[in-house]
Amino acid sequence: MASVVLSEAEKLYIVHGVQEDLRVDGRGCEDYRCAEVETDVVSNTSGSARVKLGETDILVGIKAEMGTPKLEKPDEGYLEFFVDCSSNSPELEGRGGEELGTDIANTLYRVFSCENSVDLKSLCINPKEHCWVLYVDVLLLECGGNIFDAISIAVKAALFNTRIPKVRVLEDEEGTKEIELSDDPYDCIRLNVDEVPCIVTLSKIGYRHVVDATLQEEACSLASLLISVTSKGAITSMKKVGKGSLDPESIFEMMETGQRVGKSLHIALQKILDEEENLGTSRPKVGFLG
Amino acid sequence: MPLDHRRLRGPEESQPPALWAAAAAEDEEDEKGAGAAARDPCALRPLFARAGLLSQAQGSAYVELGSGTKVLCAAWGPREAAEPGPGRLICEFRRAPFAGRGARGRPGAAAEREAEREAAAALREALEPAVRLGRYPRARLAVSALLLQDGGSALAAAVSAAALALADAGVEMYDLAVGCALCRPPAPAASWMLQPAEPEERRAAARLTLALLPALNQVSAVLGGGRGGPPEDWAQALRLGLDGCHRQYPVLRQSLLRAAQRRRSTPPS
Repeated sequence: MASVVLSEAEKLYIVHGVQEDLRVDGRGCEDYRCAEVETDVVSNTSGSARVKLGETDILVGIKAEMGTPKLEKPDEGYLEFFVDCSSNSPELEGRGGEELGTDIANTLYRVFSCENSVDLKSLCINPKEHCWVLYVDVLLLECGGNIFDAISIAVKAALFNTRIPKVRVLEDEEGTKEIELSDDPYDCIRLNVDEVPCIVTLSKIGYRHVVDATLQEEACSLASLLISVTSKGAITSMKKVGKGSLDPESIFEMMETGQRVGKSLHIALQKILDEEENLGTSRPKVGFLG
Repeated sequence: MPLDHRRLRGPEESQPPALWAAAAAEDEEDEKGAGAAARDPCALRPLFARAGLLSQAQGSAYVELGSGTKVLCAAWGPREAAEPGPGRLICEFRRAPFAGRGARGRPGAAAEREAEREAAAALREALEPAVRLGRYPRARLAVSALLLQDGGSALAAAVSAAALALADAGVEMYDLAVGCALCRPPAPAASWMLQPAEPEERRAAARLTLALLPALNQVSAVLGGGRGGPPEDWAQALRLGLDGCHRQYPVLRQSLLRAAQRRRSTPPS
């Protein structure tokens, strides 16, 4: 992961600031940086979103393709995650980037392993034979700290934006099945994203923990806790990352904070997504020119 | 083994029979499961630990749980590394081809490798806080865990075994890392259960693996997921798991002490 080198004095400055609930950029311990979310940025995908969280820049594209359901779940579609971070910095090219990429993808699989996060049954076309597979490709354009949160926001926004064409299965007298695609390109199914969790990363700095750490703050933190929270405030997965260890009491506190922050994050994100949706075709597209 | 496909005239696509026979097998397991449900959720499984059993590795440990999980770990002390900076801990996690239930997986398969790499990363995160890496500049420490039989809670057993192996190799450590796994059965009002067996783990609605440094009371690994619950619910699981780690600690310490005594009584020739 991209990292910065800080002197001891700089670290001390950040740690002391966090203890006073005032961070280097003027935020409190539970404040996110200003986030920009735009959906439908890549026209060749079924759904896409770009999220800019401070310096961190994430692009997610989702392509729906037809595949065969997994044997153990014959009446469900499934999601595949792929994370590419090679464009980020020279040290992430090749092996290093691949490792970070699979690490992030594994975390996403765990976060979405909860059975009702996405309604997978709606992705089934006909059981045991055809289903929709959603390929979720995450591109890390720029890394400015807190990539996990930004990625999960982008994935949720992209899933909200995803439109899967409606198909019908026709069966003739001999029992051969035929799949018919609707003529109307606007005739699509949308996914229900109410239960899609967002990741909240809580970094332990000194005696306190902060959300949405910048690269500088990540350099001061030895251990952080990733918590995925649904909009109702239920925790679906947890993971400790980093070289350090955590006190049990602080983990309990972090879970409480994570739930609180995650809930308000979901509300803010849903509001933005609905607003953008209501603008319809009159929406000015910013894309990468803004 | 080379296989002559012209002589074996099977269908082109094959599916494991276990999937289709599952209904009958599940019932049988459920009967067993009823017995397991009667098991006290706070009860730990019998634990066997032995350190210093491999002659070729600097440090080694074997951990076996009552549910059938068997893990063998080997550790090698500091070796010179090219890159500067503090020491690095290199972890490896392998599953024996016959470790799991059902058909033998192909050892080199991509999914298998992926799962092993993820477990290795989790192992490193759990062990790193316990090892005094600052004392080994420009050096590499290596731990390799081999899962011989998977009877549930495999990663947790691997964490305990790897920490024992490192300590047995004479690596400077703050504390042993003790691993413990939990799961929550799919029933709606079910409570968390310590050290699940393999069938319980497979059917569980949520799983959690913890590692604790008991003397320092520091949690070095938290890894879990599944059906959502309020923070209080996860906090309760965490408390139960930490208690489980504390209760395993004396056994692991004892095995280390015994290994040291054995070594003293039989000086290397």
